[in-house]
Amino acid sequence: MSRVGRALAGGRELGSLAGLAGLCGLLFALTPHFLTVPNLLNVLEQTSINAVIAVGMTFVILSGGIDLSVGSIVALSGVALAEALQAGWPPLAAVLAGAGVGALAGLLNGLLITRGRLPPFIATLGMMSVARGLALLVTDGRPVSGFDAGFRSLATARVLLVPAPALVTAVVCLAAQFVLARTRFGRYVYAIGGNEEAARLSGVAVRFHKTAVYVLSGLASALAATILTARLNSAQPIAGIMYELDAIAAAVIGGTSLKGGSGTVAGTLIGALIMGVLRNGLNLLGISSFLQQVVIGLVIIGAVLLDALLKSPDER
Amino acid sequence: MQRSAFLFAVAAMAAPGCNRDGPAAGPARPRVALVVKTLNSPFFIDMQKGAQEAAGRLQVDLVVQAAEREIDVERQMQIVENLVQTGVKALAIAPSGSREIVPALVKASAAGVPVIVVDTQVDAAAAAEAGLKLATFIGSDNYEGGRLAGRHLVEVTGGKARVGILEGIPGHETGDSRLRGFRDALKDAPGVAVVASQTANWERDQGYSVFQNMLQAHRDLDAVFACNDMMALGAVEAIAAAGRTGQVRVFGFDAVDDARKAIEAGSMVASVAQFPSEMGRVAVESAVRILKGENVPEDQRVRIELVGKGAAR
Repeated sequence: MSRVGRALAGGRELGSLAGLAGLCGLLFALTPHFLTVPNLLNVLEQTSINAVIAVGMTFVILSGGIDLSVGSIVALSGVALAEALQAGWPPLAAVLAGAGVGALAGLLNGLLITRGRLPPFIATLGMMSVARGLALLVTDGRPVSGFDAGFRSLATARVLLVPAPALVTAVVCLAAQFVLARTRFGRYVYAIGGNEEAARLSGVAVRFHKTAVYVLSGLASALAATILTARLNSAQPIAGIMYELDAIAAAVIGGTSLKGGSGTVAGTLIGALIMGVLRNGLNLLGISSFLQQVVIGLVIIGAVLLDALLKSPDER
Repeated sequence: MQRSAFLFAVAAMAAPGCNRDGPAAGPARPRVALVVKTLNSPFFIDMQKGAQEAAGRLQVDLVVQAAEREIDVERQMQIVENLVQTGVKALAIAPSGSREIVPALVKASAAGVPVIVVDTQVDAAAAAEAGLKLATFIGSDNYEGGRLAGRHLVEVTGGKARVGILEGIPGHETGDSRLRGFRDALKDAPGVAVVASQTANWERDQGYSVFQNMLQAHRDLDAVFACNDMMALGAVEAIAAAGRTGQVRVFGFDAVDDARKAIEAGSMVASVAQFPSEMGRVAVESAVRILKGENVPEDQRVRIELVGKGAAR
């Protein structure tokens, strides 16, 4: 079942990739400002935050779950990181503190779902509110800002022209792709999402793996928070609102099935890039944000609609 | 393949929206960008109108953009980055975050684009630390506006009142200044006490629920000052729901249309009017002057006035 799913996902990636290429071609035809090196590097940098969160989200969706708390975890771990930096911690220690907060929130999500038997929607909806509230409480609602150049280089540094956030995203994607495609952990995540009962009967430690995907999602959110905080030179307790929907959209546009068990990291990355290129291109063309929202909504609906149409009837 | 065809269709549908940007714009019209916080509030729509009028008059190719959500600074930063790529000659911006926007403005500035700040100040310390030079600031004196409201409250209540405050989102320079001005105005009136002060995040529905709770906790409230009219109008409804219309005096800020109506109807006492269309106009005029190499003042305050019953139009 899951093998079939993965084979299909390969075909979908090509479709998404063709979509991305078509979109780029169209923007190239419409504006001279799109296909320039600085602009394409901007797109990569702008896409990085959503892409990193969406990779974490992909693990969760593959396992058959959903994580609505990622945006709030971005805020909470960003605030934790910022407070640690302001308290004089070395950047690496502060980043680890932020990651710890993200992982802990993810762990709580996972335990609520596997031990507390809460549906993922409910558990992470609760966490969405708890993490947001904590971020506001800790900061008294105010942004925490002003960090040294060493930390900020996470956003400002360029390696052979490529912005650091884009490199971080590439590393995250490669690592996630490896885990999902080449390790037992990855195969079990697909198996659980494809048919949880069958996976359990075959001896897969379902509760462990289901908990782990939420920890990964929390970690990905914390990493995104690190990029965001370095980029804005500030951590806001109101950051990341609605990021969960952007991340879900990226995964879905990239061909990940919300039913679980099918999808890939490459697809999600392409999905995130389609959203990033669309927003960038519509800015370059001077199109209003209202229309941008309509277009992005149509792309989400269209992508999934096409997937459904391309599938054989018995798989629907 | 089919998906790419679909995307083509979507983008082609969107394409007519870009004609402002096309070659029809004529030869030497300088391209100027106005980035506001949102385009779904009357305040920024007025600002856009004022800027467009000035742009038409001064032969400027004006692009107006905003993020989908008012508080999304990261998205506003993306918009700035993208506009710089299109070769805008000047950038006017109402920052969604006074400190968070600094890195984006540094990028614009580094690309040689002069930055005009509108409505909300950029945090001076953050700008100085980043070595950011801003061309000019154009906005209302929010502190003075808060003082106007405070002094009027003292007058209307005869110097004796128990007051609740609905604050904006903490850390926003605009709301913080209004609040400071308002509180400073009360310092001379020992009979006026602020008994509760909480944020309702600029929103009408939160203004309703937060003030409903305030009324529960402090049944003897005589007046409320909301840092914007949205929250004030929420409070008006909460007061009506409690059956206390007329007993609790409501003071707002911005003098939006609904607030002016409420003032005429007597459910609000006063609001402070800003003139966003003038901000938009001055922003475009300043951009043109800067591009001609002229000097503009560092700080350009747009008039502000108290709107009470009778004066409301």
